[in-house]
Amino acid sequence: LVLCPHASSLNDEGRALMAIKGSFSNVVNVLSDWGDVHNEDFCSWRGVLCDNLTLSVVSLNLSNLNLGGEISPAIGDLRNLQSLDLQGNKLSGQIPDEVGNCGSLFHLDLSFNLLYGDIPFSISKLKELEYLNLRNNQLVGPIPSTLTQIPNLKTIDLAQNQLTGEIPRLIYWNEVLQYLGLRSNFLTGTLSPDMCQLTGLWYFDVRCNNLTGTIPESIGNCTSFEILDISYNMITGEIPYNVGFLQVATLSLQGNRLTGKIPEVIGLMQALAVLDLSENQLVGPIPPILGNLTYTGKLYLHGNKLTGPIPPELGNMSKLSYLQLNDNELTGGIPPELGKLEQLFELNLANNKLEGSIPHNISYCTALNKFNVHGNHLNGTIPPGFRNLGSLTYLNLSRNNFKGKVPFELGRIVNLDTLDLSSNSFSGPIPASVGDLEHLLILNLSKNHLGGPLPAEFGNLRSIQIIDASFNNVTGTIPIELGQLQNVASLILNNNSLHGQIPEQLCNCLSLTNLNFSYNNLSGIVPLLRNFSRFPADSYVGNPLLCGNWVGSICDPYTVK
Amino acid sequence: RFMTQKRMGGPGSSPPTCRSKCGVCAPCRPVHVPVQPGVSFPLEYYPEAWRCQCGTKLFMP
Repeated sequence: LVLCPHASSLNDEGRALMAIKGSFSNVVNVLSDWGDVHNEDFCSWRGVLCDNLTLSVVSLNLSNLNLGGEISPAIGDLRNLQSLDLQGNKLSGQIPDEVGNCGSLFHLDLSFNLLYGDIPFSISKLKELEYLNLRNNQLVGPIPSTLTQIPNLKTIDLAQNQLTGEIPRLIYWNEVLQYLGLRSNFLTGTLSPDMCQLTGLWYFDVRCNNLTGTIPESIGNCTSFEILDISYNMITGEIPYNVGFLQVATLSLQGNRLTGKIPEVIGLMQALAVLDLSENQLVGPIPPILGNLTYTGKLYLHGNKLTGPIPPELGNMSKLSYLQLNDNELTGGIPPELGKLEQLFELNLANNKLEGSIPHNISYCTALNKFNVHGNHLNGTIPPGFRNLGSLTYLNLSRNNFKGKVPFELGRIVNLDTLDLSSNSFSGPIPASVGDLEHLLILNLSKNHLGGPLPAEFGNLRSIQIIDASFNNVTGTIPIELGQLQNVASLILNNNSLHGQIPEQLCNCLSLTNLNFSYNNLSGIVPLLRNFSRFPADSYVGNPLLCGNWVGSICDPYTVK
Repeated sequence: RFMTQKRMGGPGSSPPTCRSKCGVCAPCRPVHVPVQPGVSFPLEYYPEAWRCQCGTKLFMP
């Protein structure tokens, strides 16, 4: 195989670089200055850095150049290479064994490529290696236990591959390792108590693997860890008391099969910035002592079997921006103390057994962006103070026992993109001010006792995609202004008391794919223009005076003209 | 490296004090910083760690 077709005065390293170029593809524009005919000074080639004295290649950086092809075994001929960075290309094939010949390598980054095959054992010959990043490839097979033979390895990032087998225990006996990223592989086995021998480690991430067994009782010895992420595995058993000795800022245990209660000792872990215990099988109450976590910004306990009340003490978590307690079995009321959470961005209490009304103090949470109490037993009215929640984009009160009028002040929450009041007992008219919500995408008022007409102002909802006002007592005619809604895909108005004709202007709603006007008192002729010809007869059933193109219609619109 | 102040003997942790962790720069305050673990689902949050901040500069606690 002739890799260098031209007679060349390049030395061994120059020829190695030409061989490396030869096994890449898509090199035309990016490696045009790599050539032995016009430019023999390979130290000046793109991405090549040489030692000033020896003129030997010490660094090769060809990251994010969209290179295809493979990594040539000739890489092993660059004997003095200290840094190899090929991340962010489309390199496929295997990592050549010869990379183990680059004995001076301390930085090896092949991440974000399409490399497959095993991690070569030869990497363990790289005694100077400090940084190994192979993440986001398609590597298979085990993590070589021989990685432990590299004395100064500080970073191991093998995340987002298809690695199998167990995490080699020996890897934990490395006092210099600072970063261990193994997320999103197919690793099996258990968490070893040896993991706490990593006395220099701050980042431990085995998220999204197939690990089983329990959290080691000795977990509290991992005192150097800042981030402990063992989420989305199949870890069983209880959260051990010794977790309270950790000094972590992030404790991510979500998406496992943890049982038992939330240990009270977690309330003493004031260094916690993020506590995520969601999507497990935890039982018992939320310990009120969690209110001590005054530096915690994110608390996720959703998707468990937690019972008892929401502790009012959570209102002391003054830095809290995310509080997700949804999908549990919580009882009692929403504590007014939550109104003290000035930085609260998202409050999700959906799908519990909460009772009582929404305390007006919640409207003091002026940073609130998402508020969801769907699927509880809440009653009372919407606090008028909600008009002060100017940052609110998502408001979901559906499936509760709320009653009273829909306050016209809701129209002042101009950033709303979702307003869901469905399946309650709201009554009275639909306020025209709802038409001021120009960013609204989803409006669901269905299954209430709302009366009066559909406001013509709905025609101003320029972003709206779904309007559902079905199963109410809405009267009057369908406003012609709805014909201005260019983005509306679903218009659901069935089971009301609408009368009059279907306005022809609705034919201008070119995005409309789902329409239900059934069980009203509509009359006249169904428009035949554009997408209106495609809606099934089910869209109109139960309007005895309506003429359309279906069997049993009182008239045939094609002949009426 | 000692991230956080540990109570003598018992469980529990506290944020770093950041006392004299920013060199001559003042004031030096503890902050949460997100640690990006690479490609992430858009709705996912990043893990967070403590750093000491002075102005726009971050220092290890």
